[in-house]
Amino acid sequence: MATNAIDQTRRMLSLVTYLRERPGARVDEVARAFGISQDELISDLQVLPMCGTSFRGGDLLDIDTDGEHIWWHNADAVDSGGQPLRLAADEATALLVAARAVATLPGLRVSDREALLRAGAKLEEAAGENARASSRLSVTFESEGGVFADVDRAMAERRRLWLRYYSPGRDELTEREVDPIRLFVLGHTYLEAWCRLSEARRTFRLDRVAEIRLLDEAADPPPVTPRDLSAGLVQPAAEDPEVVVEVGPGGRWVAEYWPHDSAEELPDGGLRITLRTPDPASLRRLALRLGADGRITAPPELAESAREAARAALAAYGE
Amino acid sequence: MAIAKAERLMNLALCLLGTRRPLTKRELRSSIEAYLEAASDDAFNRMFERDKDDLRELGLIIDIGENVDGEAAYQARRDHNQLPPITFDPAEAAALGLAARVWQQARLAGAASGALQKLRAAGMPEAEADRGASGALEPRIPTQEAAFEPLMLACRDRRPVVFPYRKSDSPQPVRRHVEPWALECWRGHWYLAGWDRDRQGERVFRLSRIAGAVRSRAGAYTVPVPDQVRVREAVERRAGEHATATARIRLRKGCGYPLRARAAEVVDAGEWEELLIPYGHGLDAWLAEFGPDVVVLEPAELRAETVERLRAVAKG
Repeated sequence: MATNAIDQTRRMLSLVTYLRERPGARVDEVARAFGISQDELISDLQVLPMCGTSFRGGDLLDIDTDGEHIWWHNADAVDSGGQPLRLAADEATALLVAARAVATLPGLRVSDREALLRAGAKLEEAAGENARASSRLSVTFESEGGVFADVDRAMAERRRLWLRYYSPGRDELTEREVDPIRLFVLGHTYLEAWCRLSEARRTFRLDRVAEIRLLDEAADPPPVTPRDLSAGLVQPAAEDPEVVVEVGPGGRWVAEYWPHDSAEELPDGGLRITLRTPDPASLRRLALRLGADGRITAPPELAESAREAARAALAAYGE
Repeated sequence: MAIAKAERLMNLALCLLGTRRPLTKRELRSSIEAYLEAASDDAFNRMFERDKDDLRELGLIIDIGENVDGEAAYQARRDHNQLPPITFDPAEAAALGLAARVWQQARLAGAASGALQKLRAAGMPEAEADRGASGALEPRIPTQEAAFEPLMLACRDRRPVVFPYRKSDSPQPVRRHVEPWALECWRGHWYLAGWDRDRQGERVFRLSRIAGAVRSRAGAYTVPVPDQVRVREAVERRAGEHATATARIRLRKGCGYPLRARAAEVVDAGEWEELLIPYGHGLDAWLAEFGPDVVVLEPAELRAETVERLRAVAKG
């Protein structure tokens, strides 16, 4: 994440308090304690000697580093106070809202939940009035209790899992053996795992797990870098086939739920939505759901398969 | 080269915190190199006002008083700005470390790590690496909506706002004047609850449907903010999560697992099964998704809606 001036200032003010207590602190340890890279820390350390209570009075912070240790030669001369600064409203909000949200996760261990609630209460007290704004934001994580506990245990014990998993695109349940990589929550709770059936990394939504069993085999996923989720969960590849859906006003919601390349306004108040998906057949369901509110226009074989499915369904009603 | 903003802010903060008496703008200007280099008094004044606001955003309380000559003077008193003594055990520290990572929104992510750094400077222990569940679970709060940050600030500062809002089924956004109360994230989407001045009622807005800039308006709220704001119930009701009746359908064996998972009753019927499922708003659209694998038996109204949807698709 790019550092902005406000975040950097905030960090440097805390650094000054931290370094005062720790003469000769190690660069790697300080960087870890502050959750920043060593390069970021070094660039802070280059700014600090330009700072002080007066640039003329010679009371600039005399802080330097040999790249390994950090020395502050006039820590006593410059009054920068003892305690760190109190928590700002945004800071209290960010931590408190997050702590409350995480505490609602059903799969969280009791001891972790209790630690979180204790820490939240202390924070609220320390932040005082600045904690109030945190009631204006709330986040509910949804998590599928029973399945979650088994996945969590498999991760802790590094064991393989057997799943019966529902794929909505194909409306089918498949059985798989997977080696868990990580659990994350993004709207729903997901398991990222190495699928032994497809020999590839797969993401499973926990509320679509119909059955789960812990296996005795040890999990042995190949080393993979976790997916970068900052751009969202569904990130179609450039080579995925293109699908065009034309919707009327009643189908505009499609553009909110499906990541798409473009959504062009149509004269009737609808949209022409172009999206890519590795599995176009999975969009047949969308066409059936839309009814009169929209239709697939490309590829033609997908459009035809939706029409065929609708005709077959109507036959059961005597049409 | 111009002096970096972080250096300027840091100097202003240290001057205001370090001084034993309030300092005038003139005194501050002569103490801080970046201000001395300002091209004009105007440029300095603008810079100083912005910097003061930025430091307040960081939580600094800056008192404004007067010096002996009656000039405005500024000071950030230590006793107003110190974090009260606070200690955390390693488990609490680890839990907060996990919580601080959930934000993907730049402002809140920055604020969360800034808060942790303050607590670290106050002596909070470092988390041991990889503590089971805390290491395994990675909750993330998505905030891709551009409207999130201005609305968060408006809720915080209680400022009325106006924004163009597009209802789900309408291409044309309409300007809405709202007194924002609270933001809630549910199933990965953000919603705003507030008082809709145009419609004179409480409303819930989905942030992804805000079709342009959120602008704040001067003036106070006209309606008191309720203690408890329930965004989720309102959204659930609209999403048809509340079933009002029961439907009877036939489902082909091996298909439609989510329907079967919600069924109150499943009766075997050869190649098919007969299911009783909760019937609420939007069920016809969901059932149509299963094409020839579902047949609606009753009620007649649901059967007719589903058939109508299928006819539209069959026509192409």
